[in-house]
Amino acid sequence: MKAPPFAYRLAEDLPQALDLYARSAGDAVYLAGGHSIVPSLSLRLQAPALLIDISRIAALAGVSLGPEGLRIGATTPHAVLLEDPLVATHAPLLAEAARHVAHPAIRNRATFGGNLVLADPASEFPAVVRALRAELEVEGPEGARQIAAEDFFLDLYTTALQPGEILRAVLIPPPAPGQLVAFAELARRQGDFAMVGAAVRLVPKAGVIGTADIVFHSVGLTPMRAVAAEAALIGQALDAATIAAACAAVAQDLQPGDDPVLPAATRLHLAGVLLGRLLRRVQGEWA
Amino acid sequence: MELTGSHSLTQPPETVWRALFDPEVLARAIPGCETLAQTSDDAFAATVKLKIGPVSARFKGEVELADKEPPFACTLSGKGSGGIAGFAKGAARVTLAPEGTGTVLSYTAEAALGGKLAALGSRLIQATAAKLADEFFTRFADVLNETTTTATTD
Repeated sequence: MKAPPFAYRLAEDLPQALDLYARSAGDAVYLAGGHSIVPSLSLRLQAPALLIDISRIAALAGVSLGPEGLRIGATTPHAVLLEDPLVATHAPLLAEAARHVAHPAIRNRATFGGNLVLADPASEFPAVVRALRAELEVEGPEGARQIAAEDFFLDLYTTALQPGEILRAVLIPPPAPGQLVAFAELARRQGDFAMVGAAVRLVPKAGVIGTADIVFHSVGLTPMRAVAAEAALIGQALDAATIAAACAAVAQDLQPGDDPVLPAATRLHLAGVLLGRLLRRVQGEWA
Repeated sequence: MELTGSHSLTQPPETVWRALFDPEVLARAIPGCETLAQTSDDAFAATVKLKIGPVSARFKGEVELADKEPPFACTLSGKGSGGIAGFAKGAARVTLAPEGTGTVLSYTAEAALGGKLAALGSRLIQATAAKLADEFFTRFADVLNETTTTATTD
């Protein structure tokens, strides 16, 4: 199918993008990599009057390291996350997850920020930024603000962004001393949407687990934090009994629905299996 | 594309059955419903405005109820008409089974989409449709509970 008619404007900078939006009476959509907008236009699932191209705004690009952590510009393509040495050193979890996002051709154009604002619960990056406790820097008609990844994903394809706001960059805090991370997912074929996936971040404290972040994707309407599984880990030594307790606790955290691809019980079972694998992987590196 | 789900309702199948044919209940249960008109005994026309992420449009559609086995089963078939909704049509078999004093409503829906969809397209539509179906039946249950409570206090 063909897209409905729309106007197109290339924004040179953020103020111009915001101004174009302000004058659109709410009937405009920001375009970066186009990997969710273009298919949804072609399917005629939306019909905005104006596309505002933000892909060439310098303020949205680039990866840099500062005292607050690693700052990744919203228009950074997935492929850069895979290759960038700063990402590999300071946010290896993101680089690991990026391998699982779609295919090389898509990763060359689709943007990190676009992925996050689409907020597909089956996508890897929303789970990873939540597990890493990242902060999202947003620019909008009312000025700039920062939203914790924890508070950003509200519902299926729904975020805390207000109309007209643009995600500018993602700030990933510096790793805590001794922090260990792991990411994995189960998919029938490489590049498919996962049946279930998870990002794990553990920080040791005096020989036991001090902090635990476990966030699943593809098992709910948002990236799902596994609070009961985290609680089963905190204050414990990372041994087989603790891992078994955390895997069992997953059943309290996740209530996936039945769908034609996978019955709910199977998806829940796979989530427990996957968490076990991830925790054993971290256990191997545990000091 | 297939969707399935089930919901527990506190009313007996007879009450649920009547509500399925009540335009007032349907209008309140359909997510984003702007207008709903009964066009014949078993047919309705609706305008729905949706905004779920990249799905943002006003849809016009027609719903028909057929193969009725009161008060236990019927088939709802719908199709979009015109513009953005033109590509979609689908049918859902709804069954009502008594459970204690209440009812378990289950549905299996089959939606046909025009053209071949890429991975993202089918994911967008599948995820949105599943959420809408769930929301419809959740709201349907809420409206039904409310209506029954009002009726008993009158």
